[in-house]
Amino acid sequence: MYQQQQQSMLSEEDLASTIISDLKRIVREYATATTESTCPDIRQLFTKLTDSTMKMQGQMFETMQQNNMYNASSPALRQELDKQVKQYQQTKQKTMQFVQQNLGQQQHQTFYTPAMQQQSAQHQQGQQPYYM
Amino acid sequence: MMQPMTAKELEYIADSMSNEDLLIKQCTALAATATTPALKNLARQFVQTHQQHYDSLMHALQHHQQMAPTQPQQ
Repeated sequence: MYQQQQQSMLSEEDLASTIISDLKRIVREYATATTESTCPDIRQLFTKLTDSTMKMQGQMFETMQQNNMYNASSPALRQELDKQVKQYQQTKQKTMQFVQQNLGQQQHQTFYTPAMQQQSAQHQQGQQPYYM
Repeated sequence: MMQPMTAKELEYIADSMSNEDLLIKQCTALAATATTPALKNLARQFVQTHQQHYDSLMHALQHHQQMAPTQPQQ
């Protein structure tokens, strides 16, 4: 009887969903608390709690996905990716010109070359991207 | 050298302890009722981790008790 009552309240999927959204919210709260802390020991504590909570959210996501409890967003379309790549390559060109005009040539001489301006799709050399 | 915690830090810590407390209870409910073994195990593990988080926050509070001023500071 008690067991039945317990199970009829919320399904395991509902409970897991509530927990994963709370974890997502708490990651943000810990990150905010970290940036607003002034005591080194408190800052370090919030940094560790951010990291630990983010790890838990990841584990919960994997478990829910493996058990078909999580509807991931549908894949982005190729034309959308192409559009964004093109747009942000233009943005990058403009920003690099802005930086060059204000800070001078010598600042970014190594990667701001005419060859790169012509072939914007090509990866710049001598600078490692974060996403590999 | 430790410095006194700010009012803001105290507020974040107290809010975080409420969050962790609620998650201990939610994960306990999931661990008790889940029928999917992987989910049940994870929930059990999470109860312990959230308890650790709660205890860490409590320790931070306790460590700062002694150096907190008793009068408002200018």
